[in-house]
Amino acid sequence: MRTLLKYFCLSLLLLAMTGCVAQSRYRYNWCNYDTKMYRHYKNPAQREAFVKGLKEIIEEAEPKGKVPPGIYAEYGFALYEEGNHEEAITYFKKESDKWPESKVFMTKLIAIADNRAQTQKENAAASPETLIQAEKDNQKSSTEGLK
Amino acid sequence: MKKIICSLLIVILLVFGGCAHRELNKQDKLLSAAPRSILIVPAVNNSIDVTAADYMLSTLPLPLAERGYYVFPINVVKRVLEDDGLADSSLVHTAPTSKLANLFGADAVLYVVVERWDARYAVLQTTTTVAVYYQIRDGKTDELLWDNRVKMVYTPDSGTPGAGGGAAGLIAHLVVKAVVAAVEKAAPNYMPLARQANSRAFLYYPGDGIPPGPYATAK
Repeated sequence: MRTLLKYFCLSLLLLAMTGCVAQSRYRYNWCNYDTKMYRHYKNPAQREAFVKGLKEIIEEAEPKGKVPPGIYAEYGFALYEEGNHEEAITYFKKESDKWPESKVFMTKLIAIADNRAQTQKENAAASPETLIQAEKDNQKSSTEGLK
Repeated sequence: MKKIICSLLIVILLVFGGCAHRELNKQDKLLSAAPRSILIVPAVNNSIDVTAADYMLSTLPLPLAERGYYVFPINVVKRVLEDDGLADSSLVHTAPTSKLANLFGADAVLYVVVERWDARYAVLQTTTTVAVYYQIRDGKTDELLWDNRVKMVYTPDSGTPGAGGGAAGLIAHLVVKAVVAAVEKAAPNYMPLARQANSRAFLYYPGDGIPPGPYATAK
């Protein structure tokens, strides 16, 4: 019984490990990129799994220097869409540094993300005052209403 | 004697050289344009399956990147085009290549049209077909650099009836065959076929495939 359990655990572990095996016949470490993309198109609602999948490719491939072209940008864009503009820029820069062919496009994306990050900051800075102002207006109108 | 063999060999080589040269014509334009980067734009879907275009798109970066080209991030490109009012891929395909390439800084653009993506059931057999038309155009001159049309067909094999099974064996075999065909019809396995179509289109070289890109040698 114990040995059976051991085997079961071992096979589970093996299964977990094979999730992202590098196929030596490939130049890059793709980690089932096409399947991940296809699942994302099939089920756009399962966004978290898609973003996690992209991160997994980078984590797996980066130490070996086998990150496929486009993956940094793909992950960066996912971060951008989630409102994480500053980290998005980090990944757009990584793509641009690794692949000079992407520079024109990445420079544009960085500018857009940077712009968003700035307005985000401005909004955050402005929000306490606007909140107070809104409250004042609100009080005014309510007292006016009483008169 | 040796001289004769030598001259014969030379003649044979020349003949073959001629053949190879003629075969290579298809890639001449691609070879002289020598793009470093390829922009894969969303596929146009002429098949009966609405999901075909997105599925096809997701299979394209791997073979092209492995061939040695820089491939732009397909999903980012798709989203950016959508934001620019080009959600309809047929609009993207009819826009000037140079304009599109300029937007992304791409050397060349790959256009893919899914012509067939279906599973047809006929007498205990389901045949799944994926047919794709590929075009690579120059990012500066709009010129067609290379094209290829590939059709892949798959029929699941349920084996042959075992020997000595008699009538019962044959009926059992037919039942198995019908089940296999029904399963394939219910959930056709398009993705492996799409991958095979890509391999057939790009990798057959020197034939009608594409030459290795700049990263093919720098490993």
